[in-house]
Amino acid sequence: MKRCLVIEDELNASQFICQALQRAEYEAVPCHNGLDGVRLALEGHWDIVILDRMLPGQMDGLSVLARLRANNDHTPVLILSALGSTDERVRGLRSGGDDYLSKPFALDELLARVEALLRRPLTASSPVLQVADLVLDTRHQRVTRAGQTIALQPREFRLLEYLMRHAGQVVTRTMLLESVWDYHFDPQTNVIDVQMSRLRTKVDKDFSLALIQTVRGVGYLFSASDQHV
Amino acid sequence: MFDFRHSIAARLVLAYGLLVSISVAAVSAVFYFGTIGVLQQNIDAKIVEISRREMLAYGDQPIPLLAQEITRQLNDSVDSDTEIFLLLSPSGQRIAGNLDSWPTLVAGRLLTRQVTRNGKVVLARVYARWLNNHSLLIVGRDLDEEMLMGQLVARALAIGALIAFLLIASGAMLLRQQIERRIGEIRHTVMEIEAGDLSQRIPVSGTDEFGRLNTDINRMLDRIEQLMEGVRHVSNAIAHDLRTPLSRIRTRLEAAVRAEMEVEGFCFAANAAIQDIDDLMLVFEKLLQIAEAESGVRSTSFESVDLDRIARDMVELYDAEAEARGIALRVFPVQSHAVPGLGDRNLLANALASLIDNAIKYNQSGGWVEVRALSAGHELRLEVRDNGAGIPQAELPKVTTRFYRVDQSRNLPGNGLGLSIVSAIASLHGGQLVLSNTDNGFMAVIVLPV
Repeated sequence: MKRCLVIEDELNASQFICQALQRAEYEAVPCHNGLDGVRLALEGHWDIVILDRMLPGQMDGLSVLARLRANNDHTPVLILSALGSTDERVRGLRSGGDDYLSKPFALDELLARVEALLRRPLTASSPVLQVADLVLDTRHQRVTRAGQTIALQPREFRLLEYLMRHAGQVVTRTMLLESVWDYHFDPQTNVIDVQMSRLRTKVDKDFSLALIQTVRGVGYLFSASDQHV
Repeated sequence: MFDFRHSIAARLVLAYGLLVSISVAAVSAVFYFGTIGVLQQNIDAKIVEISRREMLAYGDQPIPLLAQEITRQLNDSVDSDTEIFLLLSPSGQRIAGNLDSWPTLVAGRLLTRQVTRNGKVVLARVYARWLNNHSLLIVGRDLDEEMLMGQLVARALAIGALIAFLLIASGAMLLRQQIERRIGEIRHTVMEIEAGDLSQRIPVSGTDEFGRLNTDINRMLDRIEQLMEGVRHVSNAIAHDLRTPLSRIRTRLEAAVRAEMEVEGFCFAANAAIQDIDDLMLVFEKLLQIAEAESGVRSTSFESVDLDRIARDMVELYDAEAEARGIALRVFPVQSHAVPGLGDRNLLANALASLIDNAIKYNQSGGWVEVRALSAGHELRLEVRDNGAGIPQAELPKVTTRFYRVDQSRNLPGNGLGLSIVSAIASLHGGQLVLSNTDNGFMAVIVLPV
């Protein structure tokens, strides 16, 4: 079982996050201030730290993060913050955060990002990816399904590559915009959905097994089995 | 009448009056000494010259000869009404001459003294000289005429100065009145505005300094009124756009609790509430974003960006959307070319995405949308053109107002914040959003300074 340390001073929020993590079968340990956070983080072994940016007392989120990194602790850290501006986000990520989520957020978004962070070491870049009968070759920029070549535009290719590298894992729309287009803003329209539906037409239309699945209200799941829906 | 501490007009007038007075005084002095002074010098030179001539001619001759010469000089009808001669014996007795009494004189020096000439006491310029025959020769000139002339000139100058002073004084009054009147207009308007009537404007008469100042103040008032209008509009819009979903959420949840629904019903109510809350948060987020962009504190994240890259990325983001709606979305020029600028990459992408989104959303199937980034002279442009219906000309200035929606678009999804954000992002970058209807459609341009 993956272990999560949740450093969040607001009791309600902390409780909701821990419950959500536990339902997703993680072990979640709450902690309500920066000093305890640093101590717990350094003492135990954690797979991920969820860190609120604004904490009471003399240690705020970024100081906690700085202390961890100074102690050579490279546990993935997901920063939560009510400061949502690009500046704050950049500052959070530059201080050593692995991902930044602004409040208020959907719990599903949080879980998807936690999973992405935990999976990260596994997605080491192998040049050829395969899920079921779909093969993506990054060296030749070629995609085939059941032996048939599928023609994709460059950005569609990157979209599919991202999905395949995160196969079996829920990815949200913002994660796609951030990773595939490399922009961080909320497009606030269904522009990503339309992209996904076009990709789906190209990848799934003529085949009985649908690889791209929609997870209602959250995002998408790329998977060779139907069970996740 | 003039309170110098509280009136700039009074101070100006005083300073100006002083300056003019000094000028008049200086001119008068130069004129006076240029006329009377030169006249005096001429007289002096002439007296000394006569005295020298007599000395050369008669200085070594016996005294009676000189006395005879003097008597002749006095009776030759030349200068006889002004000339003065007096010959004194070594003991100081008058030998010849036309002075009845004379003051003590110092030989070799020109002096102005009172003398009695032909029985009249007059002021005279006199010069005494010892001759070799031990007589004292005094040559001089009656100054009556010169004094008269001096008085004449002085009077003329005094009258001139008086007229000048009167002119200065009335000019000063006029200047003061003018300034008072012009400032009065401004103060009057300001007081009315202070009392709450923001529609008041200062009357602009002419293009002088006050005219220009009034134009500037009026422009500022226009801007303030516009901002106030905006605030009022936003409050109304917030009241409507935020209160409506809030009361909907409340009613829905309340109804669910009252009805003691099955779990399924609760779930439905909760999900609907979450959706409404998400929409609300979106509006909230956008308002914050506008406020943040308008306050101009974001420039710390400015870095080198390639506008052409952003244009191409956003076109790639929206190509599927355009395709699905049957709209040709193209980026120009076909070959990528760097358009370097300084800014916040994500904000600029966000702004451009909004414009592309609008262009697609308000266009008909079969239409086109063109995007290009270019550097034109001293500005950078992110252009989005389309062949849609555009925006009615009268609505153009209002569409960047928060929550403003063109009537025809009310049935389309949106919250009336999109263009406000684009506009705020453009101003944050020191640029502006320029919207215009073109011959064949509509063009939105984010213009940025280089």
